[in-house]
Amino acid sequence: MKTKILYVTAAICFFAAGCAQETTMIDTMHDEGKPVMALDYRDFDMAASKMVQSMLASGALKKQDGGRYVVATGRIVNDTTQRIDTDQLMAKIETEILNSGQAVMTSAIGSGSDELLHETRELRDSEEFDQGSVAQRQTLIAPELTISGKIFQRNIRYDRNTQQVEYYFQLKLSDVKSGLRFWQDETLIGKRGSSRSVSW
Amino acid sequence: MKKFDFLLITLTVFAVGCQKQNDSRIHVREGVASDTLGSNIVTRPVTHAFSALIGEGIEVTRAVTRRNDAGFLELYVNGYNRSYDTKRFRYRVEWLDADGILIETKTSVWLPFSAMGKSPFTIKAVAPRTHAVDFRMDTRKWE
Repeated sequence: MKTKILYVTAAICFFAAGCAQETTMIDTMHDEGKPVMALDYRDFDMAASKMVQSMLASGALKKQDGGRYVVATGRIVNDTTQRIDTDQLMAKIETEILNSGQAVMTSAIGSGSDELLHETRELRDSEEFDQGSVAQRQTLIAPELTISGKIFQRNIRYDRNTQQVEYYFQLKLSDVKSGLRFWQDETLIGKRGSSRSVSW
Repeated sequence: MKKFDFLLITLTVFAVGCQKQNDSRIHVREGVASDTLGSNIVTRPVTHAFSALIGEGIEVTRAVTRRNDAGFLELYVNGYNRSYDTKRFRYRVEWLDADGILIETKTSVWLPFSAMGKSPFTIKAVAPRTHAVDFRMDTRKWE
């Protein structure tokens, strides 16, 4: 009797272990996973790719005198029901702007600012630091262009069992001196799925 | 009775065959334009079934590159969807420098595209670096 129970227990354990969901690495190069109602990395990749291509094709980043524009990242508003780190989108776009060779990003101001830039300037009166190595006054370069934007979401009831979620990515590039807008674009990512699945 | 059916089909085929062609730049879709073999209520099931049987799909007719004013290479891929159904697919464009070396960029991702049945389409892509001189493009089914 005891042997039988042991066999049954062993068999149950064996099958239960076989049913466990295996953890797999995502093949981000050729991901064939099903789309999800929420925004995932594929959506950010797609939005960033379209935005960058649109911006570069517009010629808005090409400076007439041949130099490079200094660009600051402004506020990217997240008006969705999801907790989105907007840097996830902007980091891709900033990288491509930098690598395009037509503009440089500034870390001195804006949402991509680096606090250490200002902290290190507070060392001017410190006797502990070689003052020749401390950044002098009026050495920071002011931005000429700013990028700002918004991500917002619209939930629409498609039918009794289906909902439609629309995500809009909007970006604009403005000239600091004149306030004129040099470029702007919008990318829409639409998803339709079960109304029981939540998009946040 | 069979003779009558045969006559009707023959007349329909000839009638739709006599349609005047539109200007190729203007695409007048099914339901708006006069009937063709593919849109006529009698012949449509046969032509659609034949199209599916021989596996008609996307055909790329021309790929054009040009350098824009900002110095970036632009790619325009013109094609035609031979199928009667809308074809949804993904494409990815990768850029190569003068030495044929792949340029690493975050813009080379799989992007969705959709071409309506029996319609021309154009895909546009812009190289993210000014030193891109060539490209390669890949496609895959839209899951």
